[in-house]
Order: sequence, then structure tokens, then C-alpha cells
Amino acid sequence: MPVPLPEPEPAAKPDPAPEPEPAAKPDPAPEPEPAAKPDPAPEPEPAAKPDPAPEPEPLPEPDPAPEPEPAAKPDPAAKPAPDGARFEPPLRLLLTGSLIVAAMLPVLVLGVLVVVMKLGKDEAVVGELLIASVVGAALLGLLAAGIAITLLTGSLRRITVAVERVAAGEYSPPIHMTGDDELARLAESHNRIAAEAQRRNRELARLLNAIAGYSPAQGVPALAAQAEQDACAVFGLIDSRLLFVDPSTVRAEERIPGEPKPVRAEVLAGAEKLGLLSGHLPATRSWERADQNLLDLFTSEVGVALRNAELFGQIDKQNARLLELDAAKDEFLRGISHNLQTPLTSIRAYVDQIRMSSAEAGADRRLQIVAEQADRLTRMVRQLLTLTRLEAGVLRQEAEVIAMASRVRRAWEALNAASVEFDLDDQASGWLAVADPDQLDQVLWALLDNAVKYGGREGKIEVAIRADEATSRLIVTIGDHGPGVSEEDRGKLFVRFQRGSAMPSGDGTGLGLYVSRQLIRKMGGDLVLDPAREGMGACFTVSLPGEPPGDGS
Amino acid sequence: MMEPRANRILLVDDDPNLLVVLAEQLREDGYDVSTARDGLEALRRLEAGWPDLIVLDLMMPRVDGLALGRQIKAHADLPIIVLSAIDTADSKAGLLDEVAEDYITKPYHYPELRARIERVLLRLGDRIPRQSIVLGPNLTLDLHKRAATVGGQEVTLTPTEARMLQVLAANLGETITTDTLLSRGWAETEGADPSYVWVSMRRLRKKIEADPDHPVHLLTIRGLGYRLVQIQADACPAARTRTGGQARPGA
Repeated sequence: MPVPLPEPEPAAKPDPAPEPEPAAKPDPAPEPEPAAKPDPAPEPEPAAKPDPAPEPEPLPEPDPAPEPEPAAKPDPAAKPAPDGARFEPPLRLLLTGSLIVAAMLPVLVLGVLVVVMKLGKDEAVVGELLIASVVGAALLGLLAAGIAITLLTGSLRRITVAVERVAAGEYSPPIHMTGDDELARLAESHNRIAAEAQRRNRELARLLNAIAGYSPAQGVPALAAQAEQDACAVFGLIDSRLLFVDPSTVRAEERIPGEPKPVRAEVLAGAEKLGLLSGHLPATRSWERADQNLLDLFTSEVGVALRNAELFGQIDKQNARLLELDAAKDEFLRGISHNLQTPLTSIRAYVDQIRMSSAEAGADRRLQIVAEQADRLTRMVRQLLTLTRLEAGVLRQEAEVIAMASRVRRAWEALNAASVEFDLDDQASGWLAVADPDQLDQVLWALLDNAVKYGGREGKIEVAIRADEATSRLIVTIGDHGPGVSEEDRGKLFVRFQRGSAMPSGDGTGLGLYVSRQLIRKMGGDLVLDPAREGMGACFTVSLPGEPPGDGS
Repeated sequence: MMEPRANRILLVDDDPNLLVVLAEQLREDGYDVSTARDGLEALRRLEAGWPDLIVLDLMMPRVDGLALGRQIKAHADLPIIVLSAIDTADSKAGLLDEVAEDYITKPYHYPELRARIERVLLRLGDRIPRQSIVLGPNLTLDLHKRAATVGGQEVTLTPTEARMLQVLAANLGETITTDTLLSRGWAETEGADPSYVWVSMRRLRKKIEADPDHPVHLLTIRGLGYRLVQIQADACPAARTRTGGQARPGA
């Protein structure tokens, strides 16, 4: 029916003027399409819209320079290839074109037919043709609308999918759209948002990485310097400074277009303002609320790290001070020991000398008491020293083999308690104890001294030594015939500075049993008070690692 | 004691009272005693002539006792007995193993002090060696540190063990009688019994022998005593210790 016509009427649009017709009625559809698809690229558009991307981009994108990840950035404009391969006709153009086609084409065809076929006189035919063209126009209009809607929804769907991906926190490749219509602008702003979100994600990752590396042991100055460096690296700042000042005393810098942008954030540790981090961004970089939030997050973490470093430094200093004090205390004790023992040594030596000078002096009871009391004082000083060393954990011990019986006898003789009856029963002949000799002497002296003091002067003191072959232990029991230890005293006997209620206070240090037990336990043995027995006084048992007799092989 | 000449002892202590009384006590027992009030005076006296033994207080003004001990050892390898108010349980007492042959805490019992002086004097020939003694691939003795290295592991020796090993190491390869060891190890113990030595040697083997049941270094000579043996003799130049065990009274 209609014939292809030279009139490319609606020159307006770039439309596939060439062959709009052939299809006539039924298939107007086919042509608008083919035309529409391929051409946008060709000429009309490209000229106008070649690069929607280029210009909006430059603004947010200047930073790729400082940062190392331009890869993701150079969006839409740069690489249409990957996803943007599908070209879309500019929406507005498409709608206008289809409307014109739908409205004008049937009328045009009608006019041509009337003129060419000279149907002017046949009103009936003309009327029919008129109706046909109206119907044709309506059909074409519907068709155009359908196509437009399909295209439109396609684009919208792509944008929706992309927005949803970004919303879900996934990476969304830029959507490529040509044209400068609303859809293209929507795609662009989506691309920009997605790119920004990705940039901030990367910044956040770097930020977390940076603060994870902060250790309080670094110290405040090193940490502050590190934070300045990290601020530059994380946020792409040109420079940054961390000042320990009240942020409110530092005036905010003015923003001058074209100059580096000043940024700042308070360094907080909890509610306390530690200082201010300030720096500059490249002039072309955008800086939005989200960026400021990230910077605030960073500085608050830095604040906490700085506070920790400060506390750490204080603790470190205190530790050093405590060590100093401890060393001073050791030195002090050594001094006390020296200053007390030195005069005692002289006293003891002179008394010995005098007593040896004549038989008369040797028998002088007064000189004997001086010697005894000097020895007693010496032992008490040593006990105090031993206690402090035990508590400081700096006590040295040797593990020598020791003949117990002769050690006990020597300790007894050193006590000068000749008026008290003493019985030593050695059932472990040949066995040797493994112990520190000096410390074992201290223990034996304390136990025997106790037995004399609490056992009453008239009672007998009995010491028995036996070996337990099964456990390779040497066991020494020291018993008296005094009143024994009351039930209530048993519990506190081995506690520091406690003494039995049977004794007037002020006699003794109250340390003897406590120190003795600690010493024996450190030698791998134990010291216990035996259960009370009828008609007997207190009885203490010392057990120590023992060595069975050797046979010379 | 029938020495041809009296043993000379230098007493160094900052307490003049003690110097007087101790010097008198020692002189009464036939020693030739000189005294010094501090480290500088002690070093001056050393320049004039060496004594046979020095009795030294650890804490003195001017020169610290340990520093003085090192200076003396640097001058001449004289035996030193430390007489100090600092007892052996003090963490610093261990430092003295480096310079001191023996250690007595104040206030001393004169008979015990004298017994130790005599023991150290008798040992003049076998003073603490200052270097390591390599006895074999698995055993090195560092008696100046009271330690031994056994198969790469360091073990500490007690003072008594170190004293007995000194005698044995000074007479490497020779048999030392149980009585000699007893007098070195337990000089001040009345009624010392040979079983002390037997038990100590048994314990010592557990420390320094790779297989205590089949000893290769510390051998028992049945009925006589003990012997310390070096294996791979050529590889151990350090084992050459001054051979001075001649004066062995207990033998």
C-alpha cells in the first residue's frame, strides 16, 4: 500500500529516515527498532553526549593520584567495554521520535495516497483511508509506547540491581549509559555513590589495619608520629599534625577554593580531649560527612591508643621504680645485717678471748651469759633476714649431704642449755640428710630453743632420728615434756608473728616456726606438729630428703 | 702444726675491734698475721709481699669486697676466705664463688674459722682453677663457677662437691684416698665419717656422669678412694691444672 517516500519529514529526528515504510501497517514495529538500536551511536547523539561521564567525574576523582587504586575508579567514561557494551538509545530522543512517528506517519501516508492516486473526488475512499490512517496512527503510537516502556524498564532494572548491590555492600561495576537524560544522570550518580562507598571501604580497611598495629609499648611520641603518618596514608592527606592541645583553642582554618582543603578532628580518649589532628586534602578531593565520620573514628581510636601508651609508660616507670626500691631494700638489709653483726662479732670474739685467758674467767657465769645472749641476738637478726629473703624469693640454698646426728648435737651445744636433760637417739646411722647446712642449723636451733622455752626447764628433751627407706627420707622428731600446744594455738603456730598463748609476749620474734617451715619446705621436706599425746609435751617432726649409707663402691 | 715457717695471713676488715681480736687469736695459734683496714691498704700490703692467705670482709668502705677480690686475683692467685656479715643465703653471696675459696659468716666461731683456714692452706697446691677443665666430650668442669657442663647442660655443684672435685682435678688420673676427700670436704665437721664421701660421690656421679651406673670420669678405686679421669686427653689443653697436689697429708 504505502510507498516509500523521499520525504524525510521529521528531519528533526535522526531517525532511520531511510526506509521507514516497507513494513506499512502491520510491521511498523520492525523498523523503528532496527533504526533505533544501531544508530544512537552513529551521529546525532554522539556529538551532543559523547561523554556524560568525563565531567561529573573529575570532581570526586582527583584523588586517584595520591592513592594507589585508580583501577576501580576510572568508571563509566573510561571503560564502556565490560558492561556498558549494551548501548541504550537516549530516552528522551526515543520518546519524541516514536511519538512523531506514531502521529505523523499515517497522516503522511494518507496524504500521499490521496495525492498520488487522485482520490480527492472519491470521498468514500478518502474517508476510509482517513479512518485507516487514524487506526494506523493509534497502533503505531501503542507500539512506540510499548517499545519505550520496555527500554525504560530495562534501564531501570539495571540501575535497581546496581543500587541493590551497593546497598548490600557488594562491589558494583559502574553502569554505562549514554545521553544526558534523567536515567543517565541517575546512573551517573549511582556510579559516583558506589565509587565513593568503595573508596571509604578501602579507607576503613586501611584505618582498621593501622590502628590494629598500635601497641602501648611504642610510647606516646612514637605513637603520635605513627598516627600522623597513618592519617596521610589512610585519608590521602597531603600533611597532618597531631597536637596535644585543647582543640577548642585552635581556630578552624578557612577553606579557600583551589587551595588544599583543611580537615581536622579531635583526638578523644573517652570524654577527655587529648588533642587535635589536623591536615590538608588535595584541593580537588571531596570531603563529605561520611569522610569526617571516618576521620573522627580514626582519631578516637588514636586517642585510646595514646591513653593506653601513656598508662603503659607510667606502669613501666613504676615497675622500674619498684625494682629500684627492691634493690634499695636489699642493700638496706645487707647494711643492717652488716651493722648489727659487726659489733656482735667483736663482742663475741672478745668474750671468747677473755674466757680463754684464765680458768677463772672461763668459769665466770656472767661472761657465759654475754656470749649466749650475743649468739641469740645474732640468730634473731639472721632469722629476720631469712624471712625477708623468703618473701622476696631470693633465698639461696645449697643441697649438701649432712650427718644429722652431729648437726643436732652441735645445735644443742650452741644453745648452752646444759641444765636441761637432752637425749639423742640416732636410729639412722650412716644415713645423710640433703639440706642447706646453714639453714638447717637455723631450723634445728629454733626447734630446740622452742623445746627448752616451752618444755619447761625441768623436763627432758628427746630427739630421735630415723630413716624411712621406702621414701628415702630422714625424719627427726624433737619432743619435750611441757604442757604441749593447746588446740586453739595449733592453728596459728606456723603463722608469722604468732606465738603460743603459753608464752609471755615479747619473748622471741614469733618467726621461728614460720621461717623454719618455709626453709624446710624449700629443701624438699616438711615440718609439722605431731598430734597431741597423753602425758607428753609438744613434738615437732622434720622430714628431709635422705641418702642411704654408702658402701664405698 | 709443724710448719718450717709460720703461714702468713692478711686480714682485711673495716672493723678495727675485730682486726685486733682476730689477729690476736690467730697469732696465738702461730700464724704470721698482718692487717688492713680497707681495700687500698690491702693492695699496698700485697705490693710489699704476698701472704699465703687473705681473710677478707665483703663489705668495706672505699673498695667493694668483690672488686678487691678480683684485683687480688688479678695480681696473684692467692687463696681468699671471705668473712662477712652477709650470709650465704644472700643473693649476692653466689658472686663470691668467683674469688673465694671459702666463706664464713659473721659472727664466726673461732674454731670453725681456724679449721677452714687450715684446710685452705693445706690446699695451696690445688686452688680453684680459673679456667674450664674439659674432661671429655660430655663433661667440662667450671669449678670457679661451681658448675659443670654435662652433655651441654649446666649443672650446679655444691661447695662440698666443688671442693672434692678440685682435689681430684688437681691430681687428674691419680687416686685420691677417701680420707683426703673427707678432710677437704668436711674439715670442720667433728666425727666425719667416710660414708659422707661415699654418698657424695654417688650423688656427684648422678650429676656429672651420662650413665651414673657406668662412670667414665669419676671412678671408684675399691678399698682406696676415687680417681677423676680425662678421656680424649689430646683434645683438652685446658685440663692442664697446676700440679701441686704433693702436700697431701691425708693420703
